[in-house]
Amino acid sequence: MQEPEYVPLNRASWTLANAEYTDRAAREEWGREEIVWGHWHLPERELGVLPDVSGKDVVELGCGTAYFGAWLKRAGARRVVGVDLTPAQLDTARRMDEEFGLGIELIEANAEDVPLPDESFDLVFSEYGASIWCDPALWIKEAARLLRPEGELVFMRGSTLRILCLPDEGPATDRLLIPQKGLYRIDWQEGDMAGSDFHPPTAEMFAILRENGFELLDFRELYAPDDAVDHEYYAQPTAEWARKWPAEEIWRLRLRSS
Amino acid sequence: MTDPNVEAWTRANADYTDARAEEKWAQDEITWGIWDVPESRLGVLPDVADRDVVELGCGTAYFSAWLKKRGARRVVGVDPTPAQLETARRCNERFGLGLEFIEAFAEDVPLPDASFDFVHSEYGASIWADPKRWIPEAARLLRPGGDLVFLRNSTLAILCSPDEDLPTTEALQRPQFGMYRFQWPGEGVEYHLPHGEWIRLLRGNGFEIVDLIEIQAPAHAETHERYDYVTAEWGRKWPAEEIWSARKGA
Repeated sequence: MQEPEYVPLNRASWTLANAEYTDRAAREEWGREEIVWGHWHLPERELGVLPDVSGKDVVELGCGTAYFGAWLKRAGARRVVGVDLTPAQLDTARRMDEEFGLGIELIEANAEDVPLPDESFDLVFSEYGASIWCDPALWIKEAARLLRPEGELVFMRGSTLRILCLPDEGPATDRLLIPQKGLYRIDWQEGDMAGSDFHPPTAEMFAILRENGFELLDFRELYAPDDAVDHEYYAQPTAEWARKWPAEEIWRLRLRSS
Repeated sequence: MTDPNVEAWTRANADYTDARAEEKWAQDEITWGIWDVPESRLGVLPDVADRDVVELGCGTAYFSAWLKKRGARRVVGVDPTPAQLETARRCNERFGLGLEFIEAFAEDVPLPDASFDFVHSEYGASIWADPKRWIPEAARLLRPGGDLVFLRNSTLAILCSPDEDLPTTEALQRPQFGMYRFQWPGEGVEYHLPHGEWIRLLRGNGFEIVDLIEIQAPAHAETHERYDYVTAEWGRKWPAEEIWSARKGA
């Protein structure tokens, strides 16, 4: 498959983000003892949204520096493969993997076209990876292909409400600034960086998942806790906004057996 | 003391729904919501032929009538407002469809377990009854593999509805965090849950989520003559209504 035009743009923006932030943040994330979710580090032990991963084969699509893959490995996963399209992010991930000795496998690829065999995983995972940077019509299909029957798909992305309230620059507002009608791919530009991300609204995302054989098991809308403060690098959303409205969401699905 | 919802719907029936009932019953095509979006476009209803149907919060029961005309075997309309049921009975006699009616709240329905194949609600129990009580009732009433379909206001429309001075705006008027029970000034009590909580509630009561449709106002839609809390212009940009379809586990 030829690389879509947004892929090199997204790779360039993640190469920059890696130099500015994710590389230096990787060690702390890999070293974290417990699994946490999203901007506000909500503990998995409180949310309880992940399936049991012990003995399971896991692939993370859009793994970045692969800290979530590291947490899943520590939680007992048998095999963890991280897939990402940005070499700089994978370099960081490899360095961390050597330092922490977890034996994560890392593959440079676009999650819309993954060079791994059919039905080879029990869990496909994505946290702000393929879940927002790849075309759902393509990556969800890949997730279904990679999973064994009754395998699970868990992913996190920003909420639709947050997207609707985004101005051209800066964090989400308390106004609807973007129509939901036609919402799917968002092309953005910030300074001299540009790229695309994807955000079909809830019902359209659900339809794509269903058409690819997934049954919805859980859907969590996450709010910022009372004591949350704004994230040091990711400018949005603000903690104040996210205490009132869900800024992030987690989807959990299971591939039907037939 | 009269229940606030019965009071509100007794008034609404005198003001509007009684006068509109026969036209609605006579309608040949099934349509959804304030924009009258045809079922033929959405394709969300299960096949109802020869199935037993109960509508929770049926009002004047025009949707029940449409389902009966589509071939449902038995159709029971449940509503707590006597005035609306009187209108429904009058229409039923006139159209001769043989619907049954029961005066009851959807949170506590005097019908036996596992006696229906399809539970339906369109702006009925779906917004006027406590979901934490009527969803378990729907699960109880359904036979294994039975369907639940309901239409409600979108969460986004509720977030953007001012306390007074409707219609719905482009500004978020209230937090989503904690949203659940609403009593608008001079109105009955409504219940509105966000998507995540609907999904957890449905799953927790043994339902599989089959479909979710966020309804868009068609290009030619006009703001509804009575239900003007959201304008057609708003409804073309954002979903004002949504339909859920769920199936009870076998």
